[in-house]
Amino acid sequence: MKSDALRGHLDALLLATLDGGQLHGYAIIEALQRRSGGALDLPTGTVYPALRRLETAGLVASEWSTVGGRQRRTYRLTKAGQRALAAERTAWREFTTAIEGVLGGGPWPAQT
Amino acid sequence: MAGADVIDDYVTALDRRLRGPDPVKGDLLAEARDSLHDAAAAHRDRGLGEEAAQRRAVAEFGPVTAIAREYQGLLGLAYGARTLRSVMLVVPLAYVMWELNRKFWIGAWNDFDAPPPDWYLTIARLNDDAAWFVAGAAVLALLVGRRLARTTVSTVTLARLAGVVAVVAVGVSLLGNVAILAATAYLDAARLLMSPPVAGATVVSFVIALRLAVLARRCVAFSSV
Repeated sequence: MKSDALRGHLDALLLATLDGGQLHGYAIIEALQRRSGGALDLPTGTVYPALRRLETAGLVASEWSTVGGRQRRTYRLTKAGQRALAAERTAWREFTTAIEGVLGGGPWPAQT
Repeated sequence: MAGADVIDDYVTALDRRLRGPDPVKGDLLAEARDSLHDAAAAHRDRGLGEEAAQRRAVAEFGPVTAIAREYQGLLGLAYGARTLRSVMLVVPLAYVMWELNRKFWIGAWNDFDAPPPDWYLTIARLNDDAAWFVAGAAVLALLVGRRLARTTVSTVTLARLAGVVAVVAVGVSLLGNVAILAATAYLDAARLLMSPPVAGATVVSFVIALRLAVLARRCVAFSSV
């Protein structure tokens, strides 16, 4: 999947990745690739500016901490980030339901 | 070991393309370097040699010119937010300090031999209001910027907006200072030097305004990608 197609969804993907708890940057990238079955193909260098922008927006918080014996910047969802993620998930389900209805290939509903 | 230089070369190339506050820049580059080493370690675990692992990590990170653009947007935004916070705090503080100084050393400013003309009072009132207007504009810009950061507006655009607001805010503040100084000099030049502490406070106010102008100018420079 190309990065241009992902760019509009990157914020939501990052928020979803942090839903399970705090992670450092490369762990976020690995989780994105693992959960997408390796289909998410975007320059890893674009993930960090996106995380910092989410931090500016108050949706994630970060701090330097020791992970695996090394100093790393770790990120976690804020309360506002959790609310934003819930809203993104609702919007995504509505979107996919609507698109599936048209592109899914099932029988068209009878016209009344 | 030749391979050990690939990540260093990439981070150095990124560093050379970035302009902005050193602590933020250092933090971003340290994180980028960590990520590249993590990626290289993962590739080594999958059987690649040191140099090939580093080259793969760098290739996955993205072309340095494209990544530098994203990082520069962040640096510009960080500098813009910092400048707006300075404007928000320093401009009204400098105004209040000058007013307290004047009240302590001179007393009522309206105590001219003859009542000052309406145009002078208008300039004085505008200068008084300017400090609060400028602080309010900075607060509003910070709040709107935080909200816009939740949308798809890029950090480069946000940084440019912060720079524009900072330049206008500082320009209004500086213009207010110059206008009241020129008007007072025209009306009664002796008043400018009647109290050395107040004259000193005026000089300090100008130094602060000029310093903020330098910060605002850098906001624009750092948001230029």
